[in-house]
Amino acid sequence: MKNGQSGISRLGFWVAISLVVILLLLLMVQIDRQWTRMDDMRRIMNEQSKDIRSSRTLLREIEKALRSGQLTTGKPLASDNEVDAKADGFARALEAMEEPDFAQGDWLRLAFASGLKTLTPLVSADAYSADVQNYVLESMLVRNPDTLKWQGLLADDWQTSADGQTITFTLKRGITFSDGEPMTAKDVEFTFDFIMNEAIAAPRARAYLSRIASVKALDEYTVEFVFSEPYFNSLQLAGSLEILPEHFYSRYLENPQIFNESRGLLMGSGPYRLADPENWTPDFGAVELIRNHRYWGPVNPSFDRIIWRIIENDSARLTTFRNGDIDVYNALPREFENLLEDEAITDRSQYFEYMSPTAGYSFIAWNQSRDGEETRFADKRVRQAMSLLTDVDRVLEEIFLGYGQPAASPFMVGSDQHDPAITPMPYDVSKAKALLDEAGYADRNGDGILESADGKPFEFELTFFQDSDDTRRMVLFLRDLYARAGIVMKPKPTEWSVMVEDLLDKDFDAITLAWTSGIEIDIFQMFHSSQTVEGGDNFINYQNPELDKVIEAARAEVDEEKRMELWHEAERILVQDQPYTFLFRRNTMAFIDERIKNLEKTDLGLNLMSVPVEVYVPAELQLHR
Amino acid sequence: MLHYLLRRLLLMVPTLLGITLVVFVVMAAAPGGISAQTLVDGMELEPQSRKALEDYYNKLYGLDQPAPVQYLRWLNNISPIGFERNTDGTLGAFSLWKGSDLGTSFRYGRDVTDLLAERLPITLLLNLISIPLIYALAIGIGVQAARDRGGRFDVSSNIFLLGLWSVPSMLAGVLFIGFFASEQYWRWFPTGGLIRRETAGETFLPLFASFSDVVIAAVCVAGLTLLLMQLLSRLSTTYRQWLGVLIGAGLGYLMALNLYGQWFAGLHVALMLVLAMLMRSLCGLQNMPLRLAIAGSLGLGLGLSIAAQLGVTFLQNGYLLDRIWHLVLPIIALSYGGLAFLAKLTRSSLLENLAADYTRTARAKGVDEESVLWRHVFRNSLLPLITVSATLLPSLLAGSVIIESIFSIDGMGKLAVEAVQTRDRELVLSITLISGLLTLFGYLLADIAYALVDPRVSYD
Repeated sequence: MKNGQSGISRLGFWVAISLVVILLLLLMVQIDRQWTRMDDMRRIMNEQSKDIRSSRTLLREIEKALRSGQLTTGKPLASDNEVDAKADGFARALEAMEEPDFAQGDWLRLAFASGLKTLTPLVSADAYSADVQNYVLESMLVRNPDTLKWQGLLADDWQTSADGQTITFTLKRGITFSDGEPMTAKDVEFTFDFIMNEAIAAPRARAYLSRIASVKALDEYTVEFVFSEPYFNSLQLAGSLEILPEHFYSRYLENPQIFNESRGLLMGSGPYRLADPENWTPDFGAVELIRNHRYWGPVNPSFDRIIWRIIENDSARLTTFRNGDIDVYNALPREFENLLEDEAITDRSQYFEYMSPTAGYSFIAWNQSRDGEETRFADKRVRQAMSLLTDVDRVLEEIFLGYGQPAASPFMVGSDQHDPAITPMPYDVSKAKALLDEAGYADRNGDGILESADGKPFEFELTFFQDSDDTRRMVLFLRDLYARAGIVMKPKPTEWSVMVEDLLDKDFDAITLAWTSGIEIDIFQMFHSSQTVEGGDNFINYQNPELDKVIEAARAEVDEEKRMELWHEAERILVQDQPYTFLFRRNTMAFIDERIKNLEKTDLGLNLMSVPVEVYVPAELQLHR
Repeated sequence: MLHYLLRRLLLMVPTLLGITLVVFVVMAAAPGGISAQTLVDGMELEPQSRKALEDYYNKLYGLDQPAPVQYLRWLNNISPIGFERNTDGTLGAFSLWKGSDLGTSFRYGRDVTDLLAERLPITLLLNLISIPLIYALAIGIGVQAARDRGGRFDVSSNIFLLGLWSVPSMLAGVLFIGFFASEQYWRWFPTGGLIRRETAGETFLPLFASFSDVVIAAVCVAGLTLLLMQLLSRLSTTYRQWLGVLIGAGLGYLMALNLYGQWFAGLHVALMLVLAMLMRSLCGLQNMPLRLAIAGSLGLGLGLSIAAQLGVTFLQNGYLLDRIWHLVLPIIALSYGGLAFLAKLTRSSLLENLAADYTRTARAKGVDEESVLWRHVFRNSLLPLITVSATLLPSLLAGSVIIESIFSIDGMGKLAVEAVQTRDRELVLSITLISGLLTLFGYLLADIAYALVDPRVSYD
């Protein structure tokens, strides 16, 4: 037994050693945690001492003014502000604050389905980081969710010159960034110069703003945007520019590399802020915004924190929502139907079905020229016939369970751009057959498949993104529909990067995709003849000189009414030509925890994420304090 | 030996070159390929902005050059000896100590080294817990199954392990979340992540309301643990098994009660039976350390819950408990497959050696059974386990793709998959380079370990 004994004691020795090592490691983690906590506290104390210092300076100035007797109390400033506030972007948030059960507090907990690369503005490109930045950065104008008109947020007032090439914004007074520094017209000028600096990795934003010739701060509160050409969307271009603080970002002009590779350099004047505006990294596994206590606006944002967790697995996300650990769950049509019958879910949540204007429209694009040769889709009658054969209503009903709206054109129903007289193409097989017959397609050999005059069968491939189940189902459904009319469609599921290459090479027969959309959108890049160039978005080689002229005229027209008429004209041509078969706009379906109140559907979608924040949790329902 | 080591190390270089070349070619030849165009993913872009973005990427990564040139550039970048690289993309002077640079990730726009350094600790944490667990349990079960060849334990563990081995981990992960992290069933564990947001501001160790609570909790946990340990180490097998049945049935009843709130139903019986059988076989294990470990964890869990029943209030659960609590499900999901495999491997290799002549000789000369098993048979059966462990080192870092994405853990596995999906060439190449290097080192270590374990093996 001697051997056995020594074996056990040796084992004990190793167990003891590994225990000591584990304990040491745990101790290290513990001390590390204390250290980060101390860092946090030091940062907060620094910020507070800065606040105290600046308020002291302010007091001294007031005292000086009082002594010299310069202060006059003639103007009823406060009431003036009140009136202004009602008319600007804060109106709805102020209304929410007047609700009897309004209370500040609690957290808003959301989830992302994939990880974020970076939160740094301009460098980031995905929609998720835009969601976060939406709370932190502010622009001069916002759209009113009810009227869709522009309203001042940072700007008090704005004037457009007669030729439409100059817009002058007057900023509000007393705006501060989240670190307490005041915001002035200089910051607006800086933001533009910063984006236009070649060293900053923001080619996307740079191209977007390339129509702006210059931005100049006329004085501390006035800033002038000059455009190089008249452009219909100039107000949106200038007004939705998110203003970056000069004192925070200017240092990166010397070291652009640091900015370009940064992950969390995010600071602005918005109602929320990153606790530490410089050191967020994706490996935190979550994004957390805290309320900006120095927020300049007339409203106090309701939530203490806004937290995004990253949960990639769909069923894990649903379970987390079931457990009440996140507040919002977005569902697909089929899932939505099932969950509506699930009492555990419906009891604890409110559900919404809405159409967000940016959701965009799906379409099938018909390639009109391939390898330099015209395809059969170059014939307008064939495209019209294909649209007539596409039973959008049934696709919506059977595959998307009715959660959507047929689209007649790229323009959103409800926006001024859309002509209410124009309706989606109906489903009409006999008319389609007549059109195809006219175009020279008929069943010549009796096999049930249409042939062209030279005997070639009417056959084409429909390219679609392989990872979307709903799209796959739709394509299979369409195959059956087309087959009934004697047209052979071959589904071609494709990986995203391959699809991008196909688009670039214009190497496809037909493709189904979706464009994102907006209140007033530009159709130049998709339908203008000049964009058939290599890499252009007119990847179907669609050319119509008449439409080109209308688009050009509309883009250069600053007067809104005249421009809308031009857009209506363009829409009529598009519906007539059917370069795309416009399919539908899909609804967004969401379950939202029932403790969140004041949710409302507006013309901009659900107001859950709108800034200034309008939703809140009544005091008695709050979970986190 | 030194000679051998040097030769092996030098041989690694061409192997690694081969690996990177294959990966590079596959990445370049993949449909869609890698070009500035594919990096610009935004379909909403206007042509001129797309062009600008493409130029930017071309300049940054040299994507407009022919593929062999790109490969050579990459080789030059990672090699510690080579030409220095200027900021405008051209090559500078030859240098012997320019240092190696793994490059910048396409998708993240950040240094690959940074990205790896961010993800590595998380994967290491998962694997450093699960691998020793797998080995300890697998050896324990495998040895007992081999000793009890053809007996009840052998047959039942065989069936059980085969079952475990057949369950795909994505299914198991989703089921775990659905049953043990969901409000619908037992919400015992979190659905994902490594930490609750609330814990970030809490203490490291659990914080109790008063000192008397600390004492009560300590007494409960320590008392129960010691009692169970004593019982499981002293009692004879039959009594232990009965103890296991009792504990299992009790737990099963509580579990069903927790779900239904009813006093008795079919589910109660089913759960009691299942858990009773499970605990019976666990308590019946012949392996002492394994039994002690089971007793310890049971004691800890039961002790804490009894303390909570007695009115001990946790003001804060603390960082440590929270982290452990988050790790339970991922660790189980990560280990059960490997456990089943290794246990069966241990069993078969032990059986082979138990039937060998030297074992008979050892028994014949009067060596006691324990010594025969652990000093003779077990040592000789280690060789296949070492072979398997050669793949361990790379898997330590590679992480588990499936488990990490189901449980929302940002580790290396998730990074690798994202890199492949988004055609992030620099990242894919770096990850394959590192895991290739580790695989080769793993094999080398395994070869050295052969020589250590088996005196017959020699490399001189």
